[in-house]
This record gives sequence, structure tokens and C-alpha cells, in this order.
Amino acid sequence: MKDILIIEDDDIMLKAINNILNKNGYKVVTARNGKEGMEIFDRGNFALVITDMMMPYTNGLEVISHVKSHDSGGEVGLIVVSSIGSEDSILEAFRLGADDYLKKPIMPAELLIRIKKILNDKSNSLI
Amino acid sequence: MIRSRFHIISFYTDFWDLPLVIQIALVIIVIAVCSTIIAYIVILTRRYNSYMYEKRLKNITPVINDLITEQVLLNESLQNEYPVDSIVFDPAAIGRPIFQKPWVRAALIKALLGYKRNFGGDLGALLRKLYIDMDLQNDSFNKIDSSRWYRKIQGIVELTQMEIRISDVTILPLTNSKIPELRVAARNAYLQISKNNPFKFFDIATEPLLPWDRLEMFKIITTTKDIAIPNFSRWISYSTNKSIVSFCLELIAHYSQHNAIPAVMHLIDTNDHFLRARAINCLGKLRAEEAEDKFIEIYTNQPINCQLEIIKALGRINSGRYIEFLKHEFLYSFDFYIRKNAARAIIRNVDIGSDTYNDLMRSSSTENQLILKHCSNPLIKY
Repeated sequence: MKDILIIEDDDIMLKAINNILNKNGYKVVTARNGKEGMEIFDRGNFALVITDMMMPYTNGLEVISHVKSHDSGGEVGLIVVSSIGSEDSILEAFRLGADDYLKKPIMPAELLIRIKKILNDKSNSLI
Repeated sequence: MIRSRFHIISFYTDFWDLPLVIQIALVIIVIAVCSTIIAYIVILTRRYNSYMYEKRLKNITPVINDLITEQVLLNESLQNEYPVDSIVFDPAAIGRPIFQKPWVRAALIKALLGYKRNFGGDLGALLRKLYIDMDLQNDSFNKIDSSRWYRKIQGIVELTQMEIRISDVTILPLTNSKIPELRVAARNAYLQISKNNPFKFFDIATEPLLPWDRLEMFKIITTTKDIAIPNFSRWISYSTNKSIVSFCLELIAHYSQHNAIPAVMHLIDTNDHFLRARAINCLGKLRAEEAEDKFIEIYTNQPINCQLEIIKALGRINSGRYIEFLKHEFLYSFDFYIRKNAARAIIRNVDIGSDTYNDLMRSSSTENQLILKHCSNPLIKY
């Protein structure tokens, strides 16, 4: 199974999502800001990236653009988790190629279902 | 000579022999030096306390995170989809003596609130249960009882975020506090916590709603789920607090409460022209056709802000009955804003390219033609 990369500047959220995903059998790598996240992404092989929108150094939109520009086959899933719920930011995230957008506060069960669905969709599209 | 003089000078012997100016200067120097020393001592003490607190916090944070992770995030019962109310936390974990220390409890509350902001659903409910089972709500209630206003706010915010009900006896008096920050926190909390009658504090509010508070409150009212929306005309008719009346007018327009139109129309006769302008604005947004005749009747006696609102309202009501009046204002008013708003109102009432529009274009001055063209542009939003 490929890894999941979580990019989140909020320690609480980062640890919590990490714990939830680990508990559900996913292998997780974490980054505390967009810049670090993009560096880790370039070095690794990820099936899914979960990113926050507002982060220091590099924001979520830049992360999405970076991931999409390095994923020509469309193999990597992208979920944006953010406290910004404005129509503009959601549309911009989807326009750049995000597969899903979750507004905080998130429900872990919902996050797990969405992760499963995106990973299934991506693996089906490769067959 | 000078040296010997310095030897001789002493506060106890010669101070009173010195010239008055020197005496004053010496007193000021002594006060300044003492104040500086005291200020430095206070700053250093605070920094030391803060450093020690950070150090202790650094040690306790992993303990708190472990507690939340084990008891909430990785809770087996939650994973197995048991109802949250039936989940029991490990008494040994939540009953540890360390969690009895006030500063640890404060840090625990802060961490729980952080998690609660990020997680909803069953996980959010379980975080709330942990907060209650560890009796942390008592700490928050104690903060509300504190004499310091910022502690009260802290308590209110904690309880609100944890969705714990605060009794009316406790919170209602705070909604009318003389301290604006406390008043706002209490009002916002009351709106979110009281599901049956969240606007009860409107009845007792004598302190004004400040513009920023109104924005905040409007956001809470329009985004809180299951909030009971009353008929706001009640406060329009009976409240003596002008800021409450003005805010209710905004809410009436937002919720399109057409049954409030008669109460709002009564406000047109008020002496306060700011309130009158808001009432006219509200009637326009409600598209109250029955108010049009009254608008025209009072128009000439109104100050400019009310005249502008009347013209905007006629545009919004869009009945087409007062096109001639709007044309007259557009062509002959000396006030630029009146002409601009009249043009907008006309555009709302007639089709671009219609005879009325073309006639108006032909008979207008160059400046008015520009205004009309500007207002006809659908890409320009007002």
C-alpha cells in the first residue's frame, strides 16, 4: 500500500488525523507546512495527499498545483481540509485539481469514507 | 570647592538648602529610577513566570495529548460505533492526580477546545463528554463567577464551544454589561446556546449594539443551525434601544419577514432620520409596494440619506408606478448621488433599449448619459 501524506500546520489536527489513519491501517507521513510537504512529496511515492489550506510559507493551493504538476498520470488523490468555507476557496481548490474538500470541524468517519472512495477511484482508473 | 560641596550634600542634612528647581529635579530622578527598577522587576518576574509556565506546559502537553488520543481519538467503543453517551472513559486515566492541578486543567480545556474546533460528529461529542466527565465545566463556570471580565469571557467562550448550557440568571445580566467585550461574548454565547428563545436579551438590552458586534452577531444568527427565528417586528414596535431596532430591520430584510411591514412603516414617522433611512431601506428590500405612496409623500421633506434610500427602495420595489418621479429626479436633481441612484432605479424599472430608456438618453445632459450608461452595464455590481 502506498503512503498518505498529511500536510497540516496545526499540531493537534496533524497528530489526530495521523492517529486515526494509522488506526485504520494506512501508512502516513506528515509535514508541518506546505514547503516541507512539497519536498517530502517529491522524494516519496504517495497515493493520497491531505492538505490544509492556510499554512506558513506555502499555502494549500500551491501544494495542489505542485502535486498536480508532478502527477501527470493523475494517480495521486488530493483532499483539502480547511476551516475556510468560502465558495471561492472551494472552487479554486477544485479548479486546481483537488478531488475533495472538507470543511473543519471534520468528522473522522466521513474523512475515512472519502479517503477510501478516492483511493478506490484512483486504483480503478489505473486498471 | 565643588568636590567638598558634593561631600557635604546629603538628603538628610542639606536637601532643603538646595534651590527648589534642584529639589524637584532630584525628586523626579529618584521617582524615575525607582519606577524603572520596579518596571524591570515586574517584567522579569512575568517573563520568568511565563518561562516556567511554558516549561511546565511543554512537559504536560504530551500527557494531555496522550489522554485525548487514548480516550477519544482511538477509543475502541467509538470505533465500534457505540452511542457516545454510553461510552465510559478509563477512570484511572482521567482520575490521575495531575489532572487535579488548576493549571493542568486549564491546559486540558485549551487542548480539548482545539480538538473540538477541528472535529465534529461523534468525535466532537466524545470530546465534550470527556470535558464533562472530568468536571472541567465547573472550572469554566468558576471563571464566569470571577470578578475579572476577561476571565468571565474565557469561561463563556469555553462553555459555548463545548455546547454547555449557561443558565439565563447567569448569562442574561452579562449581555447588558458595561464592558463591550464581555457584552459581545455573552450575547454571542446566548444566541448559540439558547435554542428556544435566543433573542431574549433584546428585551433587556439597554447598551448599544456596536457595528462590529452586529456583523459578528449577524454571522452567528445566519450560520447557527436550528436557531429559532422570531418575528423581529416585536422589537421594532417595543424596543427603546435604537441599535436593536436597527439590527432587527436588517434581520427582517434578511429573513424576508413580510408580516413585519406594518411595524416597519410606523418607523418612517420616527424623528431619528438614521433609523428612518434604515426603515426605508428595509421596506425596499421587502419590496413593500404599499409603502411607495408614503415614500413619495414624505420625499421632499427628507434629509439626503433618506431621499437616497427612498430612490433605492423605489428601484427595488420595481412597480413601475413612479417612473416619472424617478425620471424627474434623474434629470433635474443637483445632487450627483440622487441622480446616480435614480438612474439605477430607472434601469431596474425599464428595459434597456425601451422607448422610455431611449427618450431619457436623448433628453439627458452628457454627464447624465454617462451615468445612465454606467448603470446599464450588467457587469457593474452595486
